Amino acid sequence: MPGVMLAVIPMSNDVMAEIQHDYLFNLVLKGERADGRSFDEFREITIETNVIDTADGSALVTIGTTQVLVGVKVQPGEPFPDTPDVGVIITNAELIPMASPEFEAGPPREGAIEIARVVDRGIRESKSIDLKKLCVTEGEKVWIVFIDIHILDNDGNILDAASIGAIAALLTTTLPGARYDEGEDMPLPVRDIPVAITTVEFGGELLLDPSLDEGKIAGTSLTVITNSDGSISGMQKSGTDPLTTDQIIRIVDMAKTAAEEIRTKFLEV
Amino acid sequence: MGKTIVVPGDIVSDNIKMSGSGTYVRDGEVCAAVYGILNAGDRYISVIPLAGKYIPHANDRVIGIVTEVAYSNWIVDINAPYEGVLHISQYPQRIDVENMSRYLKVGDCILTMVKDVDAGMRVELSFRDRENRRLDDGRIITIDPTKMPRVIGRSGSMIRLLKSEIGCGMFVGQNGRIWINGNDDRIDLAIQTVKYIEDYAHTPGLTERVQAFLKAKQKTRYGRTHESAESVEHVKSAESTEGTDEVRNGNE
Amino acid sequence: MSERPERFIIDGKRLDGRSFDELRPIKIELSPLDRADGSCYLEWGRNKVMAAVYGPRELHPRHRQNMTRAVVQFRYNMASFSVDDRIRPGHNRRSIEISKVSREAFEPVIFTKFFPKTAIDVFVEVLRADAGTRTAGINAASLALADAGIPMRSLVSACAVGKVDGEIVLDLMKEEDNYGEADVPVAMTVGEEITLLQMDGHLTPKEFYKALELAKSGCRQVYELQRQALVEKYNKDYSVDEDDARSDAGGDSDE
Repeated sequence: MPGVMLAVIPMSNDVMAEIQHDYLFNLVLKGERADGRSFDEFREITIETNVIDTADGSALVTIGTTQVLVGVKVQPGEPFPDTPDVGVIITNAELIPMASPEFEAGPPREGAIEIARVVDRGIRESKSIDLKKLCVTEGEKVWIVFIDIHILDNDGNILDAASIGAIAALLTTTLPGARYDEGEDMPLPVRDIPVAITTVEFGGELLLDPSLDEGKIAGTSLTVITNSDGSISGMQKSGTDPLTTDQIIRIVDMAKTAAEEIRTKFLEV
Repeated sequence: MGKTIVVPGDIVSDNIKMSGSGTYVRDGEVCAAVYGILNAGDRYISVIPLAGKYIPHANDRVIGIVTEVAYSNWIVDINAPYEGVLHISQYPQRIDVENMSRYLKVGDCILTMVKDVDAGMRVELSFRDRENRRLDDGRIITIDPTKMPRVIGRSGSMIRLLKSEIGCGMFVGQNGRIWINGNDDRIDLAIQTVKYIEDYAHTPGLTERVQAFLKAKQKTRYGRTHESAESVEHVKSAESTEGTDEVRNGNE
Repeated sequence: MSERPERFIIDGKRLDGRSFDELRPIKIELSPLDRADGSCYLEWGRNKVMAAVYGPRELHPRHRQNMTRAVVQFRYNMASFSVDDRIRPGHNRRSIEISKVSREAFEPVIFTKFFPKTAIDVFVEVLRADAGTRTAGINAASLALADAGIPMRSLVSACAVGKVDGEIVLDLMKEEDNYGEADVPVAMTVGEEITLLQMDGHLTPKEFYKALELAKSGCRQVYELQRQALVEKYNKDYSVDEDDARSDAGGDSDE
């Protein structure tokens, strides 16, 4: 059939050996994790910005062996009719099939859509970008900021990597004024640094930065996006098991602390 | 004694009778078919691949994970591009189709044998041999199948070394999976050692390297001096008989 | 959008200083990805491409399985931020065509008969584009296939030639590609069997034969770089000092 992109449907190789499942569970009961981390410890994070010069801002983030590339492109366009004096943010995520045997080719499905929307919420609700400053001519022309998240290698916790990548790319984004005859190039005005932190629950314990296996075993996860002042600009519970209020409070606390560490270490100038 | 690395298409011989595994013949010459290490023997020239999937062959011993209980067949993940099929008749006891899950259920890990692989790549497994069993404890790890021969060693020398030095039970499947049993410390050490072998698989003097690796690990672990090493040896040799691959009937 | 240059060749040199038969610099990194069975990151001029291979692996849906051999699938895609004017994500007619001819560049070369019923999946993602993305993708894909241990008759090496200011030139840069008179991407095996050939533009047969010979010489140069990268990877992975083994073990055993 002409024009058909390859249909890559993943093997259902998701059955984990029960003894492996038991092993991870028992480790957690003993207060340990398979890679030796403590429950509130992240794997090693690296952030490299300005990696793609055709983008107006970009960042390559690694958490352990997870790799995510985020590119920001800014273009002039029409504002939404009901908000004529503010710019527009559009976030998209691609779980490209090279990143995992389980990703399919084709338009984004629920996993990719969820990542894009959660990252978008964090950026939007924290008001990290002053959208009013992106207005060029009210009712006619505003800057449209496209945030494109490209998952390259999925070794767990791609959501946090995507969120960190997005804000790191935005922090180094240049508004391409010269290119579109709208004055000089200027840095994108970013006034907050929202960071998403994901915690999973299993064995009654709460673990930050789930590895691939931990993410598969966990019955539920809660992602909390916090800002520089500790306020919360987004949350997303994902998965089938319920959480207690107590767990939620603890998770918010863990997320705030971890986000602050990451902000201080990598994202603040 | 350097190794010669070849890439697909490299000409390795002009004597087509010597074409061995990992090579093919083109225009009267033997060429490499995979990226790997050239192995020039007296009668054959072959290429040892540096990467690749496990492709099942009859009589392979493998470690599988049950992924599905279909009508009269268990479907087993054997870490290959082909799934393994274990027919109910290949179970050592007579069991009813309705009761299959009571004996082997989804998620169970098994030591099994490849009975046959037909032209259509249907992989039939067998569980009848006394050595086959369900693995209810211990841990499994998966490594690059092309490195498996190094974990086994010549005539099993490496795996014997590991079992006796570490004091654990081990079974190495041909499909890149290894099952390890014993107490947690031993299993941790065994896994580290297997990963070390995987990393250094193609370096010279691997056996000596592994021995040195283990000696240093044991020393740090026990933190003892040379005299008391004897008592440690004694303890180790007593334990290592527990986890051997002596036949254990794991069938209920 | 840059404007059409007045001249492409000044004093015998092209706009970026290269001579007619010179390739842009190429950088290769093998196995940058952990999950994929084989992978390669390649930079060529300002192109940045990532190639990954999964396989052989089970092919779904079942009805697409071939009982006698593996099915090769190739997906070429450009990231939305890879060019100056953002591309809407998702496949388009251009990426579908490139995926097809790229797949066909490898089908004669891979020993598919060893893996009936399976798929060998090749993914190329262009992260930054700078003319010649399909040939960059093919070169990276060759290496990713080798990295995955896929048996092949040969590596595949690709390069494009074109015509600017009446001259046949090797490895087009962006302006030459956009405004030149022809674009001829070529891929071949080490035995010089051509597995990809396209032509866009206008050439006399004589010009075309000259272009083809120049492209082949470019492919040969690329082949040397691909081969070298594979050999060097092994040396990097497996050549160690005697001392490394002991220090790795974390002890100071000096017996």
